Amino acid sequence: MEKVCRNWPKEAFSKDLINPNSWKEFEENAKLAAAEVYRLPDMAAAKEKLIELLKSLEVKSILAVGGDEYPALDKLYKDLAAEGNAIHTEKFDIAESANTADLGISTAEFGIGETGSLCVDNYSYEARVTSMMPPVNLVFMNADYTTTDVDTAFDVISKVFDKGYMGFVTGPSRTADIERVLSLGVHGPSRLIIFAMDSGMERSDD
Amino acid sequence: MSRDLHNEIKTKLKDDIMQGALTKFAEQYPGARLKSYENVGDGSQEAIDELRDDLRDMKLRTVDSIEKYADEFQKSVEARGGVVYRAKDGDDLKEYLIKIANENGVKRIVKSKSMATEEIHLNHDLEEKGFHVRETDLGEWMLAVAGQKPSHMVMPAIHLNRQQCAKFFSQELKEEIPSDIPFMIQTARRVLREEFRAADMGITGANFGVAENGAIGLVTNEGNARLVTTLPRIHVVIIGYEKLIPKVKDIAKIVRLLPRNGTCQRMTSYMTMIDGPTPVIYKKDGEWVEENRKQYVILLDNGRLKAAHDPKMRQAFQCVRCASCLNVCPIWTLVGGHVYGHIYSGGIGAILTGLLGKGSMEAFGQFSDLCIGCRKCVSICPGKVPIPDLIDELRHRNVKEKGLAFPEKMAFQHILTNRKLFHTLLRTASLAQKPVQSGKFIRHLPLFFAHLTEGRSLPAVSDKPFRDRMAELSKNNPKNPVKRVAFFSGCNLDFVFPDTAENVVKVLQDLNMEVVFPEAQSCCGKPAIGMGDRDTGKVLAKQNIEAFEKAGADVIVCACPTCAETLEKTYVEMFAEDSKWRTRVELFAAKIREFTSFVAEEYEKQGRLKETEGAEKVTYHDSCHMRRGLNVWKEPRALLKAAKDVDFVEMHNPDKCCGMAGAFGMRYAEISLPMLKEKLNNVKNTGASTVAVACPACMMQIGGGLDQDLPDVKVKHIADILAERL
Repeated sequence: MEKVCRNWPKEAFSKDLINPNSWKEFEENAKLAAAEVYRLPDMAAAKEKLIELLKSLEVKSILAVGGDEYPALDKLYKDLAAEGNAIHTEKFDIAESANTADLGISTAEFGIGETGSLCVDNYSYEARVTSMMPPVNLVFMNADYTTTDVDTAFDVISKVFDKGYMGFVTGPSRTADIERVLSLGVHGPSRLIIFAMDSGMERSDD
Repeated sequence: MSRDLHNEIKTKLKDDIMQGALTKFAEQYPGARLKSYENVGDGSQEAIDELRDDLRDMKLRTVDSIEKYADEFQKSVEARGGVVYRAKDGDDLKEYLIKIANENGVKRIVKSKSMATEEIHLNHDLEEKGFHVRETDLGEWMLAVAGQKPSHMVMPAIHLNRQQCAKFFSQELKEEIPSDIPFMIQTARRVLREEFRAADMGITGANFGVAENGAIGLVTNEGNARLVTTLPRIHVVIIGYEKLIPKVKDIAKIVRLLPRNGTCQRMTSYMTMIDGPTPVIYKKDGEWVEENRKQYVILLDNGRLKAAHDPKMRQAFQCVRCASCLNVCPIWTLVGGHVYGHIYSGGIGAILTGLLGKGSMEAFGQFSDLCIGCRKCVSICPGKVPIPDLIDELRHRNVKEKGLAFPEKMAFQHILTNRKLFHTLLRTASLAQKPVQSGKFIRHLPLFFAHLTEGRSLPAVSDKPFRDRMAELSKNNPKNPVKRVAFFSGCNLDFVFPDTAENVVKVLQDLNMEVVFPEAQSCCGKPAIGMGDRDTGKVLAKQNIEAFEKAGADVIVCACPTCAETLEKTYVEMFAEDSKWRTRVELFAAKIREFTSFVAEEYEKQGRLKETEGAEKVTYHDSCHMRRGLNVWKEPRALLKAAKDVDFVEMHNPDKCCGMAGAFGMRYAEISLPMLKEKLNNVKNTGASTVAVACPACMMQIGGGLDQDLPDVKVKHIADILAERL
């Protein structure tokens, strides 16, 4: 999958920029922006939580990206498929099912404490479609990867952003265009669910 | 086309739906904005100001070398495979856009919000050429159906309610849509999703364009911009030169402020950066194919480059289009953006209207006098754009080019500059008003002047102006004064409130100061300068400076903040380029002291500023020029808290304009009165028996309103309150 940066931790992160202590502020601000945040110890816990969600949301069709980058995610997607779920991970499949899928699973590079934003690398078409088209977007992130503030986030980004498509996602899609009443899910997802992982986000190229 | 502003205002003031929405918003916005800044540094004003200074400095550095950054931006985009076109104006842009649309076989276009395309009426021309064009921002989509323009840059449809929205939904979809907000949102999602999927071309604006790598940024909440830049196979960016910034790191300077000021969020839902062509998957002859999307970036000039090279107007480049200047504007929050604006609305809208496109000055001239110069916008603008100053400058240029209307020309150039004639006329007025005068007020006027006294009495011109009382007062000057003070009264204190002027003198004499009143002093010139007539302003400035030079005083005290600001600041600016007068003006300006801050300083020295308790409830109204022009607001409160028998109470929104704003209150009585009503209501809620002011114009407005609505409450200048206690 095409990305702005193939390996963010290696090429863009450093100890002075990435501060795991910003987690609390990140969680607080993400929730303030109506994101649902789960901190999970490992992929087994993530799977359990995910299956719960699939049931409660009555998910019939899933788009999923990031398997090529994270072996544990790849395994999770394959397991879900083997258990009979319709899960699309190939780009043309994703394009075909984009408008009918009920859940998109994608990944984020890091979170920002000051704003509760996820920094997402969406160079590939399938990553964008997966995170925007279905009514629910589930995002996996490494819980240790947070920056304190927006300035630091751009210190990180400026190291690797030469071309492509990326940005911040902060809570679900929203509008207040009618009577300034907050309404979620106008064009993008109405729910943004964050799985912040303590382990399991080891990379295939590490 | 000439606008009938008074009629437009009347209609909007009667629009209860819009009035309800704007009043509620104006009330909620300031607190919600501050809340979003709570986690910036220690959340203090200083911490916010540090971000604002950074943003302003970065934008000014960029505009200084705008061509260099435009070249760098173009090179960056082209190096990544994008196509750049520089459009000199709207016609040029549209011609190019239609050409590329035809070359690429485009039939359907989706757009995400772009004010630049509104500015050049793009949709209209595209539709005329047969293209199917859809706005995808919910508000813009509804307005397009309704055939209306946005009334706010960030909340385009704030003037509508859910029933009106439902009507436009029904009209567009040709089925009955109930006015249930979640249902309407889901309907819009369904309908617009099909538009995104079927579109060949996506058009977006840009919140910024980065020179070093060619990235453009889109800050949205709905996410429509992400779909516009993901699903169609062609992406066109329309970006004004003012959006360019040098580096990726500079983006932080914009996005830490824009969402907080614009929508009171720490970040919007989506902040998207697109750099060069990116992959798109679409069906070509029934097969899915992946290729790089075509990207066209159009840099729009339309007056921007001329502004960039204008030493004053370049400051408009500091704007990031958050529209927060509208949110705190007492005029916009009353009449909305359709009245106060042309395409861009509010204060910044007036400036952009005056700078951009064909017939810009003419469009500006139609509504530019709606800015009352209260400077509330300046106090929160992320880029610190001096909005009222730029409007003033444009007014001045407009007057220079087109001249004043006859009545103003007569009043300013033939009467105001001839002190003796002006003062004779004022004295004549004091006689002529006798038949309609009752006590110190004029409560009713006959015939077509009647509307001037609706809801507000007018003060009567005094029988005996202050200048005729000074000889008597001079006898009380101390024998061995500590200072020699020259008193600049201004027209209001001289002719309308001479008792207050007397009290100013008494307070100063009590401080063992000698007070002199140079007889040759004239109007400070603000009424003419405010209308753009700086030539008259300069004539008056010279008369005043000559008069005060002869007085040989240590300080010049002024009990009207508008006069004080004009004498101290505007005079210096007006003569900045005048080598013959500059030094004289600066020496004069250095001596100007606003009355309350001067007295507070002296009282402090004498240990007279200790807080006391009392029985008389007194509240205080901040004059705009005093609070934000001179930054004086602590001192009058300290004086009141220390005044014997005073129980000081703060009112809600003490620094919100009372609606007078010089001649504005008369020219736009229909706007001025609701502002006054709000002020009176805030006064009433304090239960105070006295409203203290430090500005004679506010005293006139609030006093006139109290006379009709709350006759038991008195308005007093702080000089009156202090003199009563000597």
